[in-house]
Amino acid sequence: MVHPPAAAITSPLDRERGPIVLIGIVGLVLAALVALDTGGRGVALFALGGALGAVFLGFQYGFASAWRRFLAGGEAMGLATHFLLIGLCALVFLGAPALGVSAAGSVAPVSVSLVIGAFIFGIGMQLANGCGSGVLFSFGGGSGRMMVALPFFILGSLLGSFLLPTALDWGSLGQMPIAGGSGVFTGLAVNLGLIGLVGGGFFWLARRRGEAMPRRLLAATLIIAVLCWLVFILSGHPWGVTFGFTLWGAKIAAAIGVPVDSFAFWQWAGPRRALDHSVLADVSSLMDFGMVLGAGAMAAAGGGLRRQDWPPARQLVGAALGGILMGIGARLGFGCNIGAFLAGIASGSLHGWIWFVMAMAGSWVGIRARPGFGLSS
Amino acid sequence: MTRLTPKSAYILVLVAGLALAMGDHLTSRSMAGLGAPSDLGNACAHCGAPCDE
Repeated sequence: MVHPPAAAITSPLDRERGPIVLIGIVGLVLAALVALDTGGRGVALFALGGALGAVFLGFQYGFASAWRRFLAGGEAMGLATHFLLIGLCALVFLGAPALGVSAAGSVAPVSVSLVIGAFIFGIGMQLANGCGSGVLFSFGGGSGRMMVALPFFILGSLLGSFLLPTALDWGSLGQMPIAGGSGVFTGLAVNLGLIGLVGGGFFWLARRRGEAMPRRLLAATLIIAVLCWLVFILSGHPWGVTFGFTLWGAKIAAAIGVPVDSFAFWQWAGPRRALDHSVLADVSSLMDFGMVLGAGAMAAAGGGLRRQDWPPARQLVGAALGGILMGIGARLGFGCNIGAFLAGIASGSLHGWIWFVMAMAGSWVGIRARPGFGLSS
Repeated sequence: MTRLTPKSAYILVLVAGLALAMGDHLTSRSMAGLGAPSDLGNACAHCGAPCDE
């Protein structure tokens, strides 16, 4: 009888023990640095980023694929769950004053740059096969495609930060809160009504096609909503992903001698402060680190890291192009599916709805471009 | 030639990311509290873009 070598009979968990230990060490070191500088609140937000990464990867909760299934095949249940998530977030974001929560939603200007940025983002997320959160959690899970998409996303968002001040001059109607100034409960009722109408419409379409809402998807939606509430309460803002990428790009560019701080965007008070301080002192950047580590731990625990392989070169070109487009689009459009679509609509801002329509239009174009990069449409 | 697998690349990126984050943290100004760009100035968006005057 031939005995298999010891390495062949170890469990998947044993074989991924190295990455789990490494991720644990990286997480502890970063948490210690955060604790020393920004205390328990920083550590909690870092941990929430980790939890979001683990949940997104564990449940494979995605925006890009759900939108693609809707546009290509009419499957609407994924979109219905996105609006359920938005509605749950709106309860806390818009109800914050009544709940005694000292936090503000995300209400960005309705501008030409928003329309262009969201459209570009929509194309990019189909070419890269993931949106802002999707790129991040899949990267954390060891995806070879996202190891190409993420650096280009970072580069694109840095370029977007250079372009945004000029793009804002192309025209803006300013902030447009829906039912703004009508009181907390009226604003909440109007916005929940709108979200319910659109989400209910997608649910009705899905049911008409015989689609069921998978319990797994429902569970993920509820867990993510609770995590988004906690981020909102602890940070004072809705969760956002892509500013962290912009900051990472600016830090790297500054380190190699690019005069980043001479650009108008980086002279605005908020970005200026972020550039001057640690990458662990910006909420978006800090949570992005957590998300990568959370997704990595989840992937390693399931033996997922070793199952990854490099996609064909054409798909990697698509990932790079998609990353660049999403990066530029995220800055011009004030965020991604999380920071603009989810946070914008859940904050009662018209810009979130416009972002949704334009990113959906961009996705339609992106889906048609996918075969050129070796991807199914 | 040994092929660089996504797992190996991931581990390299993780270690490099930790080194860069630590380096940046230790050489940046200290700050008693977390911040977001929309906290400061006349900001209208996540990224800190100013509102129209």
